[in-house]
Amino acid sequence: MFEYTFQWRQAFRALPQMLDGALVTMQIAVLSMVIGVTIAVLLAVARNAHSPWLRWPATAWVEVARNTPALFQIYMAHFGLGSFGIYLSPYVALLAGITFNNAGYLCETFRGALRAIPATQVRAGRSLGMGQVMAFRLIVLPQMFRIAFLPTTNQMVWAILMTSLGVTVGMSTDLTGVTQDLNARTFRTFELFALAGALYYCIAKAVMFAARLAAWRLFRY
Amino acid sequence: MNFKTVAGGLIAATLVAGTAQADKLDDIIASGTLRCAVVLDFPPMGSRDENNEPIGFDVDYCRDLAKVLGVEAEIVETPFPDRIPALVSGRADVGVASTSDTLERAKTAGFTIPYFAFTNVVLTKEGTGADSYESLKGRTVGSVAGTYEAIALEKDIKAWGEGGSFRPYQSQADVFLALSQGQIDATVVTSTVASSIVDSGRYEGLTIGGDAPYLPDYVSLIALRSEYGLLNYLDLFINQQVRTGRYQELYEKWVGGAAPDLTVNKVYR
Repeated sequence: MFEYTFQWRQAFRALPQMLDGALVTMQIAVLSMVIGVTIAVLLAVARNAHSPWLRWPATAWVEVARNTPALFQIYMAHFGLGSFGIYLSPYVALLAGITFNNAGYLCETFRGALRAIPATQVRAGRSLGMGQVMAFRLIVLPQMFRIAFLPTTNQMVWAILMTSLGVTVGMSTDLTGVTQDLNARTFRTFELFALAGALYYCIAKAVMFAARLAAWRLFRY
Repeated sequence: MNFKTVAGGLIAATLVAGTAQADKLDDIIASGTLRCAVVLDFPPMGSRDENNEPIGFDVDYCRDLAKVLGVEAEIVETPFPDRIPALVSGRADVGVASTSDTLERAKTAGFTIPYFAFTNVVLTKEGTGADSYESLKGRTVGSVAGTYEAIALEKDIKAWGEGGSFRPYQSQADVFLALSQGQIDATVVTSTVASSIVDSGRYEGLTIGGDAPYLPDYVSLIALRSEYGLLNYLDLFINQQVRTGRYQELYEKWVGGAAPDLTVNKVYR
């Protein structure tokens, strides 16, 4: 049987520290999404390009990002690059790993969204005298974001949860890092991780709720 | 209801009550197996040989314990952070895992008298210029999260300031990898681990850069806090290991030299 007495007071005393960790977690997730979305748009465009010099690197990125574990990607950013003499701090390695992953997944999401926009719309825009870039920016991009918005929030939640992999490369300031450190000191494993789990749940829920609000404001017809 | 049913019920009730009172020590003896949580990336205390079999001081210690209990030893590989979950979830009976006996942890787990003591040294890479504990001031260092030396090192690095930072890694192997790549300038590890890794030659250019001025790190066996019967037995077992010279014998086998004292002057445990 489960022979353990729960001591919640000890865990709740650690709550301020864990909330600080939750802030770092949020920060990394948001940054990785902002950079990830930017790269993903470029990748999606590159994958549709005619030139193989654009198409191939983008395809390679997407293939690796989507078909290898996020843990592997973060580990590689820290220890893999480290063996070539490129030293990323745990924070940067974690951010780079998740951004890489985000960009790969979001690229495919965006590419699907691009397919859903009829090519005739761009042609119509061009016939009104718009340049290629202008037509893409004014006609395609806004619709692409509208179509891809909900899958993108999905990736945002995924990004938050992936930050927990940072402990494997020595990250100590995010929510999992803080929790793991407290656990090693006090051995109050179950209370601390239950609390961390609840915090992750709240963060993810809050993000989904905020995304709903944003979608309602931004994408009304 | 006839006599047989009543008698049968009474016997069954006695049996159930009897087993309910059996403690962990009884359970181990009855099951015929002693399951020890051992950390296996922490040579020479625990590691794996060429055939992937667990070896080390802690592994032998567990086997000695199983022998005197008259049961089979089973090594349950357990990373440092998972020692308590392993005990609480019933995957292991005893932690033979170099666990530092801090008062904070003793609020959660049951600690025996010390069965081993570590001293700590600075382990660094040639060319970093870190040659003493004081020279770590303002540098990037790392260690295994939550260990005795990690807690002490992090505290000093923070107190020194001057741009120094501390990175906790999840395993000893990751610390050595980070050190050999130059991600961190130095680490503080137990002298036994340091000499074992330098001798192994697995990572090039690692050297020992002097002693870390910490108190000896006394480590205990751990069990569930409520299992007094088991904890009592373990205390006596540790005492006997020292008394019979087995402790010194194992120390010579895995570390070499005179085994460290397990007593503190002027006070009882």
